[in-house]
Amino acid sequence: MSEHKATSGSPPATGPIGAGQPDDLDLLLRACIQCGLCLPYCATYRATGNEAWSPRGRLLLLGRFLAGEVDSAEPGYLEAFDRCLGCRACETSCPSGVPFVLFEHLKAEAFTRLDLQLPLPLPWLASRWRLRSLRWVSGWARAVLSRWLGRDWRRRLARRGGRLQRWSRLLGSLPHAVSSDKALIRMLDGLQARNPGRVDGPATDSADPQPASSGTKETARDPHPGQAPAPRLVFFQGCANHGLLPDSSRRLLALLRAAGCDIVTPGGQTCCGALARHGGAPALADGQREQNLRILAQQRARWDYLVVEAAGCGQELMEYSEELATRIRDAVQLLAELPLPAPRRVALDVVYHDPCHAVHGQGIQAAPRRLLAAIPGLRLVEPEDPLVCCGSGGPYSLRYPELATLMGRRKAAALAATTAHCVVTSNPGCLGQIADGLALGAPELPIIPLTDLIWYAHGGPDR
Amino acid sequence: MTNSRPDLLLETLTRLLGPERCLTDAATRAVYALDASRIPLGSPLVVTLPHTPDELATIISLCVERQVPWVMRGAGTGLSGGAVPGDGSVVVSTAGLDSVGLVRPASRLIRVDSGVRNETVSRIARPHGLQFAPDPSSQSASTIGGNVAENAGGPHCLQVGVTLHHVAGLEWVDPHGRRWFTGRSLSCERGLDLLALLTGSEGCLGCVTSADLQLIPLPTSVATLLAFFPELRAATQAVVDLLGAGLLPSAVEIVDQAVLQAVEEAFHFGFPTDVAAAMIVEIEGVSEAVAEDTSRTEVLLRQAGASRVRQAADETERQELWTCRKKAFGAVGRITPNYVTMDVVVPLGRLPDLVDAIGEIVTAHGVRIVTAFHAGDGNLHPGVMYDARDPDSTARGHAAADAIVQAVLQRGGSITGEHGVGLEKKHVFALQIDRVAGRLMADMVALFDPAGLCNPGKVLPPLAELTLVPPPPPNDMDFQWDSLTVTASAGTTLAAIQTRALERGYWIPVGAVRTAKDGSGLGAAGRVVDLVDQLLAGPSLLGRCSVRDVLLEIWAETGDGAAFHAGAPLFKNVAGFDLVHLFCGAAGMLGRLRAATFQLRPLPETAALWSFHLRDGVLSPDDLWRLLDRLRTWDRTLSAPTCIIDGFDVGSRGVTVLAAGRDRPWDLDRKQQELRHWAETAGLEFSHETRRPFAGLVELLVDPGLPVWSRHSPDWTSLARLPDHEGWPEFLATGRTIWQGAPELLWMPLAFHARETGWHIDTLFRAGEVTELPPPADTVPIDLLRRLKDLFDPQGLRGEPKWLERTREAAP
Repeated sequence: MSEHKATSGSPPATGPIGAGQPDDLDLLLRACIQCGLCLPYCATYRATGNEAWSPRGRLLLLGRFLAGEVDSAEPGYLEAFDRCLGCRACETSCPSGVPFVLFEHLKAEAFTRLDLQLPLPLPWLASRWRLRSLRWVSGWARAVLSRWLGRDWRRRLARRGGRLQRWSRLLGSLPHAVSSDKALIRMLDGLQARNPGRVDGPATDSADPQPASSGTKETARDPHPGQAPAPRLVFFQGCANHGLLPDSSRRLLALLRAAGCDIVTPGGQTCCGALARHGGAPALADGQREQNLRILAQQRARWDYLVVEAAGCGQELMEYSEELATRIRDAVQLLAELPLPAPRRVALDVVYHDPCHAVHGQGIQAAPRRLLAAIPGLRLVEPEDPLVCCGSGGPYSLRYPELATLMGRRKAAALAATTAHCVVTSNPGCLGQIADGLALGAPELPIIPLTDLIWYAHGGPDR
Repeated sequence: MTNSRPDLLLETLTRLLGPERCLTDAATRAVYALDASRIPLGSPLVVTLPHTPDELATIISLCVERQVPWVMRGAGTGLSGGAVPGDGSVVVSTAGLDSVGLVRPASRLIRVDSGVRNETVSRIARPHGLQFAPDPSSQSASTIGGNVAENAGGPHCLQVGVTLHHVAGLEWVDPHGRRWFTGRSLSCERGLDLLALLTGSEGCLGCVTSADLQLIPLPTSVATLLAFFPELRAATQAVVDLLGAGLLPSAVEIVDQAVLQAVEEAFHFGFPTDVAAAMIVEIEGVSEAVAEDTSRTEVLLRQAGASRVRQAADETERQELWTCRKKAFGAVGRITPNYVTMDVVVPLGRLPDLVDAIGEIVTAHGVRIVTAFHAGDGNLHPGVMYDARDPDSTARGHAAADAIVQAVLQRGGSITGEHGVGLEKKHVFALQIDRVAGRLMADMVALFDPAGLCNPGKVLPPLAELTLVPPPPPNDMDFQWDSLTVTASAGTTLAAIQTRALERGYWIPVGAVRTAKDGSGLGAAGRVVDLVDQLLAGPSLLGRCSVRDVLLEIWAETGDGAAFHAGAPLFKNVAGFDLVHLFCGAAGMLGRLRAATFQLRPLPETAALWSFHLRDGVLSPDDLWRLLDRLRTWDRTLSAPTCIIDGFDVGSRGVTVLAAGRDRPWDLDRKQQELRHWAETAGLEFSHETRRPFAGLVELLVDPGLPVWSRHSPDWTSLARLPDHEGWPEFLATGRTIWQGAPELLWMPLAFHARETGWHIDTLFRAGEVTELPPPADTVPIDLLRRLKDLFDPQGLRGEPKWLERTREAAP
């Protein structure tokens, strides 16, 4: 506290970052014993090797700020905070229990102080029809480019450098997935056909006969026999999912319905506000929060859970109110809990990438694995450094495209080094980022949304 | 430093690395000014991030040219301040040096760059059924370069040793900017053991760019016991009892109540927090032996007063248990922001006694401590808590820490077992190292680094502080049964030691030396001095150690008669530079050995010996490789936690295989079958088999009448060696199995480089496959070796080997 007072008299432009939370910051700093066990989990440190861009380094710098030893004009200080992705992997790894989450607030401040501009007005973009048009335009551009430059257009353009490189990265990392059900089925069938020689692990064999038996299908169709009724759900669309991956959302809803859930998708909902908040527009974020809360309040019928597809939205929504936080369910969690139709055999090695907002933000780690492990024939493999962020970080990858590309390529390389035939993930940001990394480093490895694979495995309920 | 030109250096470095990898901004320099030790020293000039060994070597050369000091840094997880830079120095970070070579399962080696993390090595080795044994608690973050520099230990060092025992070769840059490759085989016997000297040198003698690491097989079976004790002393006494009963677990860890509470708060494992101590005992080996040892351990722990003992239910629980243990250090941050992290070691038998003494010190100084023990090694980490904002509390904390160091040294211990001296323990260095040894170390540093640029200001205190008089060497044999060591004067015969040890079920795990054809061997007359100077020993032991690995302490005289003492009767000790291993295998050219301390190991239970005769002609290399492969698989099925000897000898007459360990009769039957099957296809005739309790093979250990082993102790690196004479292969070693080829066996298809210093094999060919070793960075740093020899023996009274003599003539 006293340390904070020592510097609070200085003019705001050079005052300490995080001036609003001195108590929290003191706690933050005193808990860190600088053991360095966070280093291998930090994506920015792993990509650059620079310890100033590691959790331990940032805490140390913060300490010097608070002690009044330096001011924010010193080169390198604000950059160190601003380069933080906010993935919170450090929090998961810290044995000392340092609440690194406070970095996020500092980051937002660094963002305003440094007067950073995004190359794209993301918060503005986060509207339904703009994203829709973006999806059409990008799809068209992708088609043209692959016709013109071949399947590895992304790699070819990356070599050019300059503005072309930047735009090709934007295009490459925009989340996209197979839209038609038939094409998705064809793709996954083809993937299995191309890898017939895969050796089955022992786990898959034992799982095999169980779902194939005829009786199970009936009971699966009849969810919760003799149990509590299926939950009534409100679906939060999320702008990226709704605008860019509408077909995956459709498949998710189909799966939930097949599991017997009653789902309402209220109209008028808007972006959760995460983009605006992290993009330096807190006022806009607050407005979006108000609107979403109003829409939820208008729901007349009783509902149990608010289903969120993107973990990033889920985390932002949890900040709305404590009451709401208890009713938010990640789609993956819900799918893992509900009795889905009996799965078919999917003879593939699959690697799952944990979105940071799910694994570090909400502790969702077992659910997606349980979901995948229930599919007979499917073998789940783990990559190196599964807890390290892919480098997407919402607007981050637009602000620091080079650094983000570096991190994306590292992540893609780690995923491609496994025996997996297919990468799955459950967050649109990660999906685009890793797809871009794969396009640059391992173009033969496909990546699809988790819900698409689950939909395919569970018979494609509405096909 | 009159010629120092940092400005010019900065310019060149930026040109070399680019601005992103040559960081000079205030924030970066502030971060790199500290490491996990949190000891401030100065502010670095620049932080460099080389991506290749070439870049690293260039940076060092540039620093030398501009006379600017540098310090190497891995992940900055060191606890003694070894990587803390001084004012105006260059930080050379190895974070970008992270390329990993392929695992070479045949030779059980992997080459990795020095920035590769410890955990990564084991992860990569796992699919091959191998692992890298040293596992410091920082292993998820710490790098191989740092592990080598500090000679890192960890919980699992009790059975298989520390980093020193698992490094087979180092590529390094000396403080003049020259690059070398130093392999184990090049240094032992035919030179000085630079490898041992560099390992644990805390970055003061050179910079490691990449390392060949020796991997060991994963155990077939593991049992992990968790025991709780109502009293800390009882827990430590239980460890003494456990090892005294002839058990050798792979790890024995203890944490006290305070650590337990912190860990429980952090990880919610479900530990009871009302007990005084928790113990983890891990037992590895074949399943029958593990089951047997586990139940014995359980009984012993209960007898020693454990209130509860239970076994980890499955691999998941075992992993969780270890996560809790390894992150305990970090979790302590939840209790206190400031604590003195100590790293003291005492002989195992003195551990309970030390625990009492520490209890008294804590009460007397009115401080609180937390303690985690690598109990089997006698290594403990008392953390004396204090509040840095309160000067009185700080003073009391440090006074208590100093009192603990005194208590440790009074009990024949060491100030540091695995953390290193660095900056943190410089002030207590002179309490342990005598003035002659200290001066030798200082001279050695000056010899390597005359300009004082390579991590200056670490380890050694000012020479004036070194006042300790070297202790006199002991005159006879002295067994410390509860600490599992034996000290003996240089003239004691190995036979005398082994006979006494065998009576109690222990041995120094080396065989006796057979009298060789030319009469040079020593047979039953082999003495301690021969063992140390010549590394003379019989059979391969355990496949996992040689004399070098069980030698702990020496008393010696330099060439001009100055007596000194080095090392300590401890399984872990990293205080100062490694004079012990420098003497080991130096053929007496550095000085005269007066006495030595060795580690004792429990005796294997069974032994079997199989002999096969060659019908005619010679053995084909393919057949030999097949035998090697066969023996390698035995390692995993047989590997008892205590001892195994598997080896074989190929002479002109045939092949002999010895297996010792804890085989049951059916195991031996199976092995015999396998060997006979192999012999049939290879055209050999089975001649005889001997089976008996290992202790019955006493003649093998004290008087080798058996035609098994010849004089050279194998070091199990795949860097094979050729002697000076005529260039015939005398023996080659790979993995843990050895073959010895008589000169008449010329089938070995080898590629080797002729060197000024003799022959050196770089590549081992087997039909259709190359077991390659990357070319060495350069030849042997002969000038350094020569100057080392001159340092210890300035008047040349001790004589020197031919290879060194020749280089003197060649030198201008």
